[in-house]
Amino acid sequence: MIHVGLTHFLVVSAILFSLGIYAIVTRKNAIMVLMGVELILNSANINFVAFSKFGNLGLGGQLIALFIIILAAAEAAVALAIVLNIYKTFTNVNIDEIDNLKE
Amino acid sequence: MEQNHLLTYLLLTPIAGSLLILFLKEENPKLIRWLGFLISIAAFIISLFVYFGFDASAADFQFQDKILWIKSLNVSYFVGVDGISLLLILLTTFLTPLTLLSSWKAIEKKVKMFTFMMLFLETGMIGVFMSLDMFLFYIFWEAMLIPMYFIIGIWGGEQRIYASVKFFIYTMFGSLLMLVAIIWLAVYASGPLGSFTTNLLDLYKVGPSVPREIQSWMFFAFLLSFAIKVPIFPLHTWLPDAHVQAPTAGSVILAGVLLKMGTYGILRFCLPLFPQSAVYYAPFISMLAIVGIIYGALVAMVQPDMKKLVAYSSVAHLGFVVLGIFAMTEEAVQGAVIQMINHGLSTGALFLLVGVIYERTHSREIAYYGGIAKLIPVYCAVLMITSLSSIGLPGLNGFIGEFLILLGSFKSSVLNSWWFTVFAASGVIFAAVYLLWMYQRVVFGTVKNPELQNKLTDMTARELIVIVPILIFIVWIGIYPSTFLDMTRLSTEKILRSVGSFTLSLVK
Amino acid sequence: MELSNLSHSLNLLLPELTLSIALLVLVLFDLIFHHDKKIISYVALIGLLATGFFVINQFSLSGFAFSTGNESYRNFGMITIDSFGSFFKLIVIVASVIIVFFSLSSDEIKKTSERIGEYYALIFGMILGMLFMISATDLILIYLSVELLSLSSYVLAGFTKLRERNSEASLKYMIYGSVSSGLMLFGISLVYGMTGTTNLYMINSLIQIPHLNLFTFSFAMILIFAGIGYKISSAPFHFWTPDVYEGAPITITAFLSVASKAAGFALLIRFVKITFVSYIDTSGFWQLIHVFDWKTLIVVISIFTMTLGNFSALWQDNLKRMLAYSSIAHAGYIMLGLAVLSNQGLTAMLIYFAVYLLMNLGAFLVVMLIANKINSEEIDDYDGLGYSSPFLAASLAIFLISLTGLPPTAGFIGKLYLFVALVDANMIGLAVVALLNTVVSLYYYVRVLKHMYLTKPETAIPEIKTSKPNTILVLVLLIPIFIFGIYFTPLVDLAKGCITILGL
Repeated sequence: MIHVGLTHFLVVSAILFSLGIYAIVTRKNAIMVLMGVELILNSANINFVAFSKFGNLGLGGQLIALFIIILAAAEAAVALAIVLNIYKTFTNVNIDEIDNLKE
Repeated sequence: MEQNHLLTYLLLTPIAGSLLILFLKEENPKLIRWLGFLISIAAFIISLFVYFGFDASAADFQFQDKILWIKSLNVSYFVGVDGISLLLILLTTFLTPLTLLSSWKAIEKKVKMFTFMMLFLETGMIGVFMSLDMFLFYIFWEAMLIPMYFIIGIWGGEQRIYASVKFFIYTMFGSLLMLVAIIWLAVYASGPLGSFTTNLLDLYKVGPSVPREIQSWMFFAFLLSFAIKVPIFPLHTWLPDAHVQAPTAGSVILAGVLLKMGTYGILRFCLPLFPQSAVYYAPFISMLAIVGIIYGALVAMVQPDMKKLVAYSSVAHLGFVVLGIFAMTEEAVQGAVIQMINHGLSTGALFLLVGVIYERTHSREIAYYGGIAKLIPVYCAVLMITSLSSIGLPGLNGFIGEFLILLGSFKSSVLNSWWFTVFAASGVIFAAVYLLWMYQRVVFGTVKNPELQNKLTDMTARELIVIVPILIFIVWIGIYPSTFLDMTRLSTEKILRSVGSFTLSLVK
Repeated sequence: MELSNLSHSLNLLLPELTLSIALLVLVLFDLIFHHDKKIISYVALIGLLATGFFVINQFSLSGFAFSTGNESYRNFGMITIDSFGSFFKLIVIVASVIIVFFSLSSDEIKKTSERIGEYYALIFGMILGMLFMISATDLILIYLSVELLSLSSYVLAGFTKLRERNSEASLKYMIYGSVSSGLMLFGISLVYGMTGTTNLYMINSLIQIPHLNLFTFSFAMILIFAGIGYKISSAPFHFWTPDVYEGAPITITAFLSVASKAAGFALLIRFVKITFVSYIDTSGFWQLIHVFDWKTLIVVISIFTMTLGNFSALWQDNLKRMLAYSSIAHAGYIMLGLAVLSNQGLTAMLIYFAVYLLMNLGAFLVVMLIANKINSEEIDDYDGLGYSSPFLAASLAIFLISLTGLPPTAGFIGKLYLFVALVDANMIGLAVVALLNTVVSLYYYVRVLKHMYLTKPETAIPEIKTSKPNTILVLVLLIPIFIFGIYFTPLVDLAKGCITILGL
């Protein structure tokens, strides 16, 4: 058995973070971009929990993770409402095509 | 020295007047014009009081008035005059009513705003000449930009917008550099003086002790700002545009006073604050001045437009002033001061005269005219005197200034070469060529253009009232310059003394 | 936690508590008064004034709220109340009060008056977020307050839904915002991992001993800066600014440009000061701990920000968009004050902010009053405005001149103190860069003046009449610009008294 240590968690979180960034940069669909953001938030969550577990930092990290989960839910609610509104106006949610404001 | 509020009254008169005018109704331009004129006359009268109260036998700044303004920066409202600034203030208060009077017909739209802007501008100009605090100086210096921008931009010619924006950006660039240099100097002064200060008299003591390298930077930051205003070649390109596009009144004020602020700044700040750098770079700057003299004259020669010709002649004339200042001998600097006044009078008058015929025919093309001597003899006589004064004919004012500058630059130990004098003198000859040639083409010959017969009428009484006072001074300075030279002698000596010790140490 | 500690903490949080109560009252009133929603605006105003009262009351107060309870670090709390924070809170509250008045006369907001309750509730959410941002000294609280501010403002940016551009602004703001706050959170998690705490004071004492992986730490700092940089719209996190400023309702644009930016700056300053300064030397310079070179980062970013803002503004034809770029540029100027890393630089920033509040809100107010009438913010439509509506045009001209920084307006004073601070720290090159930028900015500000006064309109435009309250509001912003331009000692004294950041 491999002993699962801090490094493993950090690697997972780093992969999640990178995937999140990748999604944000490449995806054109607003929903997909938001999912990328969720990935980043969750990678941070993993960090917090892992650090607090392995660094003997008490329950602070877990507590923070709870905060973030709630906040992510709130953010998702607001974000989806806005995307819905966009869909009503533009009949698509493709970020590249929503470009009426001039550069 | 006892406190005297006369200068403050002088400063407040035009600004209070301009605010008063804001409350008048636009529908009554006559009232606005008269009121504006009377306010500027009042300012002139107050400046005469200053003149008669002025003690020419004292070199100090007189009529000092000082109120602590901003405690945290140790900035005060601090004004005072010496001979040089008094002379320039008189020039300002003298020219402003004349320009207002001259534009009674030329400015028909938005008279209220025009009068407001002119009086506002006058406050700024007077303020620049009397400030003894760098911060105060800077505020007045910048405060003039906005009215001038509007005067060119609203009442100017076809290219007015381009010209006004160019003027604004050029001047602003220079003055911001100066701001940094002022702050730098003030911060530096907080070492030896113990506190941040912008008091000019205190900074005079500190400036010369700034290390050479830093001093050069500060010197050039100041110089650049002033050089743009003067303008010294090659920073002059805004000037022809601004002059040509500005309305007559704007051109007169621009040539008469605003350009002097540049040379005044050099004399008041660059020389006494940074004497080592000033002496060190004097030959270089004088060279630029010479280039300006010759370049201005040559370009003026080929101009088809009368106003443009006068504008380029300004570049040449101001070259003389800069040469005089950087020759750093008593004759030369005195000559430079007198030349500043001369240029204000002669070039101002030339712009007025171009404006007079432009109002009638709406053309400034030299080729358009010809043979107007028979049509409007009085005008031609006045134009003759003014042109000759600008050329520097003995007996008229221009001669005194140019002669003193040439003499002084010849003797100058800072320049230490008579080539400067030779090239500058050639500029005098060029001036004769382009002005007389212009005069000949416009005035003599046969009337080529039949339109002129109907359009041209001789000068009206109002126009003569504007021009005659200037002519009086043109002759006065030419015949009896001592009135003015005596005023500035001690002030000049004082500036040169502050440079002097360094001059000697460097040259020998 | 003992009860006395709790009551002590709550006492320090009086402004925030007042605001929260006002927020609840707003929601309740919105439910109770279906028909006449006018009262809501007054409730909002009263709530703000009460909050403002408590903020002013707190000026002399200082202390830590919600200490972590750990014996050794007993004194350090999650929230720090000090004069620095109170100053910024006051800026936010004043801006908010003005925004309420804006909203009362904005056509865009009037058209959605049946939802005015939500509108103010969301604005109050923003303000609450800002107040916490200003005084938070714990990374998690910082993150939460940033999110509180962001979530409310995402919605507000698209609140009116009158035009397509509203929704678009909202979407863009939300996407950029959530990404940058996600990055910030990840950075915070790394810091937590490396130091074991999220409290700034404890981080400060821990990083004094250099045992960190500097690379990871710098990476975390840059991520955190991304979150803050987004709020203050500094390059390269500014991309949302022009689109959102142009698309959002103008009241919200004005609010974002002043209050949100003020809160972001307060956060940045406090973060840098508390976390990274080891001591302040006798002449007021902050000595950094050598773990991360904030000075270079801020210098580079500020030069980049102001240059980009100014040059982009040159090409803009929409006034709101131009003001957006100009506000980016101003963020760059203000950052210069931080780059100095001294008490003097901090004073300059505070002065600049007070001045910026007046002139930027003023410019937006006039643009809004004009847009109410001509329904356009294009600069070309401003032709001849100087003569058809002299009062508005003259006010706009003065606000813009002040934004340029010409005397005798207050904008000059802001720049003056910045320059003094820069020169005093011997950063003359930076001062020169700033002034070159000012010259560039002159061009686009003057362009508006040109259109208002020098260009002849193609079609005659009607006079824009301003109602009495609006005239008064413009004057309220306009007169201080002159007063502070000529007599600024009180402002400077106030700023000098407000540079205490508890810490060290």
